[in-house]
Amino acid sequence: MEDYITVGMLNSYITRLLDHDTRLQDFWLKGEISGFRLYQQSGHIYFTLKDKEASVSCVMFKSKGQQLNFKPEEGMEVLLRGYVSVFARQGKYQVYVEEMQPYGTGGLFLYLEKLKARLAAEGYFALEKKKRIPRIVHRVGVVTSQDGAALQDILRVIRQRHPGVEVIIAHSSVQGTEAPRELAQGIQILNEYGEVDVIIVGRGGGSLEDLMAFNSEELVYAIFNSRIPIISGVGHEVDFSLSDLTADLRAATPTQAAQLAVPDYSLLQKEVHSLSHRMVRFMQRNLSNHEERLDRSMMKKVWREPAILLQKKQESLAETQKRLKRSMEERIKEKSHDLALAAAGLDNLSPLKVMTRGYAILTKDKRVVKDVTDIEIGDELQADLANGRLQLLIKGKEKIKDGKHKF
Amino acid sequence: MENINFDIALARLEDIVEQLESAHLALEASLALFEEGVKLSLYCQKELKKTDGKVQRLFKKLNGELELVELEV
Repeated sequence: MEDYITVGMLNSYITRLLDHDTRLQDFWLKGEISGFRLYQQSGHIYFTLKDKEASVSCVMFKSKGQQLNFKPEEGMEVLLRGYVSVFARQGKYQVYVEEMQPYGTGGLFLYLEKLKARLAAEGYFALEKKKRIPRIVHRVGVVTSQDGAALQDILRVIRQRHPGVEVIIAHSSVQGTEAPRELAQGIQILNEYGEVDVIIVGRGGGSLEDLMAFNSEELVYAIFNSRIPIISGVGHEVDFSLSDLTADLRAATPTQAAQLAVPDYSLLQKEVHSLSHRMVRFMQRNLSNHEERLDRSMMKKVWREPAILLQKKQESLAETQKRLKRSMEERIKEKSHDLALAAAGLDNLSPLKVMTRGYAILTKDKRVVKDVTDIEIGDELQADLANGRLQLLIKGKEKIKDGKHKF
Repeated sequence: MENINFDIALARLEDIVEQLESAHLALEASLALFEEGVKLSLYCQKELKKTDGKVQRLFKKLNGELELVELEV
């Protein structure tokens, strides 16, 4: 029988070999992330790091993963620090990652710029989505660390400005892997509670790495989706954080955020007083103007001697009467003349007037005779002349043939 | 005066003073505005005096309920 060793012994031996090589115990490694998986239960991270020629398995335990200040993505180039050891159960060596950062010119900056560009394109920073910060607030929500200096700064400013303002704190860690989720949750529970007028989200200053929670997508989404207006107050050594860009109002520090959230009440009080004062002064002036106008009107002569009004009316009435009378007289004169002319015409037509000119009216049995055929020879007729009556006896008659007399 | 808040009240008050001072309103109209303005001014002053001033911490309990605990600062 040959001498042999067990698989376990082999793996232990190899492990020892690797563990004793100081070059393998602490090195920087560059490559592209592939097959990234975060196990929710254990919190450990597994992925393969590869380049054109090769690949190696990597593991990052929860305690290290929590320090990550960016979200590793498929295909992302990273620089990591770690050591090599053997996973004995599978007989495979792997890299145990201690820390990791995006690789490239200003790695983290590049990552942030890309994230910023994407979120901007998706409309998370759009100005028209910004909510107005109310002029006065009764209750301020604060999402920050309960133990941080930022909270003390915020409380101090609020007390100075108006001791009556209530503060509701939603505690959250402000750096590390848990921070994005906790900050987002703080905003969510304040929205759920609903009784705050404005929310401050912030922390004191720090390096870009320290502030990465304020660049996380989770926090950006929570700020964007908040119904309550949000003021970001993150102390900065860098230009911006993505939460600043998403917030409805950006302050440079937690102190400034508190100043923006809680107005100077004495100033507002002055403003309200000044408006009331202007209103009252105007009203007094307005009323005295009206009184003066009324007085001036009442001073007019007509109010003192109302008889003037009647006198004018009387004068006008008399004048009208005179005109009426004159025009009636003219009309009567005109009509009398017409009447005289008409009467003269009538006189010429009278039968008596005709008879004086030599005409007579013949009657038989009191009927006027107009036709010779109505008369027989021997008939007795009367002839009325202007100055008397004749009794006639008809001795003969002749009818004119063509209806014309020959006198 | 329902659905009113300080911002709306103050803006309306400013508007009223502006109207009173610049527009030539009939006496009745200006009196009506003045009356409204006085109410708004009283409301604004009352809002500025509201005080409570507590500092509390908001928790979400495991059963999903929210709880407020007063903090000593």
